[in-house]
Amino acid sequence: MTDTLTPTLLPLGDRGLLIRFAETLSDDANRAAIGFAARAEAAGVRGVAEVVPNLVSVLLRYEPSAISFVALAGEVRLLVSAPGQPAAADAEHRVAVHFDGEDLSEVAGLVRLSVADFIAAHNAAPLRVLATGFAPGFIYCGMHPEALVVPRRGVVRRQAQAGTVLFAAGQTAITSTAIPTGWHVIGHTEFRNFDPAAEPPTTVRAGDSVKFVAS
Amino acid sequence: MSAIRITRAGPLATLQDAGRPGLLRHGISASGPMDGAAFARAGGWLGAAGTTAIEFTTAGLSFVAEGSVSIAVDGGAFELSIDGEAKSWPARALLGAGSVVDIRPGPAGNYGYLRLDREIEVPLVMGSRATSSIAGIGGFGGRALRAGDLLPLGATLPRGRGQHPTPAEVADGPIRIVWGIHADRFDNAIRQRFVTDGFAVSSQLDRMGVRLGDPSQVFADAKILSLVSDAVVPGDIQILGDGTPIVLMRDHQPTGGYPRIATVVTADLDRFAQLRPGNQVRFVPVTVQHAEGLKR
Repeated sequence: MTDTLTPTLLPLGDRGLLIRFAETLSDDANRAAIGFAARAEAAGVRGVAEVVPNLVSVLLRYEPSAISFVALAGEVRLLVSAPGQPAAADAEHRVAVHFDGEDLSEVAGLVRLSVADFIAAHNAAPLRVLATGFAPGFIYCGMHPEALVVPRRGVVRRQAQAGTVLFAAGQTAITSTAIPTGWHVIGHTEFRNFDPAAEPPTTVRAGDSVKFVAS
Repeated sequence: MSAIRITRAGPLATLQDAGRPGLLRHGISASGPMDGAAFARAGGWLGAAGTTAIEFTTAGLSFVAEGSVSIAVDGGAFELSIDGEAKSWPARALLGAGSVVDIRPGPAGNYGYLRLDREIEVPLVMGSRATSSIAGIGGFGGRALRAGDLLPLGATLPRGRGQHPTPAEVADGPIRIVWGIHADRFDNAIRQRFVTDGFAVSSQLDRMGVRLGDPSQVFADAKILSLVSDAVVPGDIQILGDGTPIVLMRDHQPTGGYPRIATVVTADLDRFAQLRPGNQVRFVPVTVQHAEGLKR
């Protein structure tokens, strides 16, 4: 599959090239970014030290002694228009959630469902991992159907523990470390995506699928 | 086995090595020395140095050498004494067992480095001994050093060809930037004022970021929208929702959702890190092509 979106190429400092597929989050732009990151990694572009998929963009960190921004931009344009290789199979993860979050009933109310119906709707279909990297092991999963979209909370919680299941903006997110959050806390999980002693330290990748089940 | 026993540590003294780049997708920024050039110079004075340094902050550091060890210090300008005798800065010294080293605040800089002729034996975490203050991992139990900590040292490295320490030339002039990934989100007038009006380093600075004072209110009227987040690199200048500019540093958040007007060039980030609260900062744009050719 080739990407139908033509990306914008921007310098990010003097050692980074950002490939931006859109200004706003959409499923197409997200898939384009993840697909391009996979292709850039597989291609092993000279001078590129790191490939980082984001929600709608990809950062290539490069070593200017090996390749210049201008030369790398040329390589990127070739890669964008090249026919894509079949992507490696994306992994599937099953995440058992205790739906016991302090904002659960409020969220169910916002989408006009009972708590039980909200949980059923939330778990109805597998989600795609849209992005990683906001914090160690943190993952964003989406997109929920329009009927389940709620805004973030007005107030930031100082500390959401590791294994907190968060909900906002049509997405479900899972923390693997303690972080502050402005999202709704809908549950908790034993699922962890960060082990500093492991190589790699996180195993869930953008593009993987996540099936949530109530436990 | 020899060791370093910390008797006094200013806030946010941490162990740092070259860092752990390459883990942004896992949510880990690279860490590493705030002033990479000073870290490298201190190692150069020794010739052969362990990969890991103590990075101390303005208030300095005091320690006792438990066993004989060679050290070198550099970065900023601090007051150094060894067993009560004043020394010049930067310095290299062979410490005898029981030697007392006292590093006190000096006239310039925020960060200094102590390097040793051997490794500081703390575990590698994701390939590095650097402390990440944002993730709370690496270094000495993932935290800043404090009085009473005992840092175990490895075997002496084969002797290298060291150099007599000499003070580094201090560059001055504006901090060079390349325009950021969201520069086009700001009006021309704001972009113009960003490089003509001065800023000041505020007292809110740490390894994650340096907030800037904006005395002429460059960003007072800027419409700051929250954006789809992208990966962050050190030197990125984000404009927060209330208009405060913050320069993201070595322990930066891995991703950012506020607009980034500019990024400090790699060659000037060490110098920027050493600017003290109250110091004036001016930014000057350069092209990426120019920045790529600058020596660190």
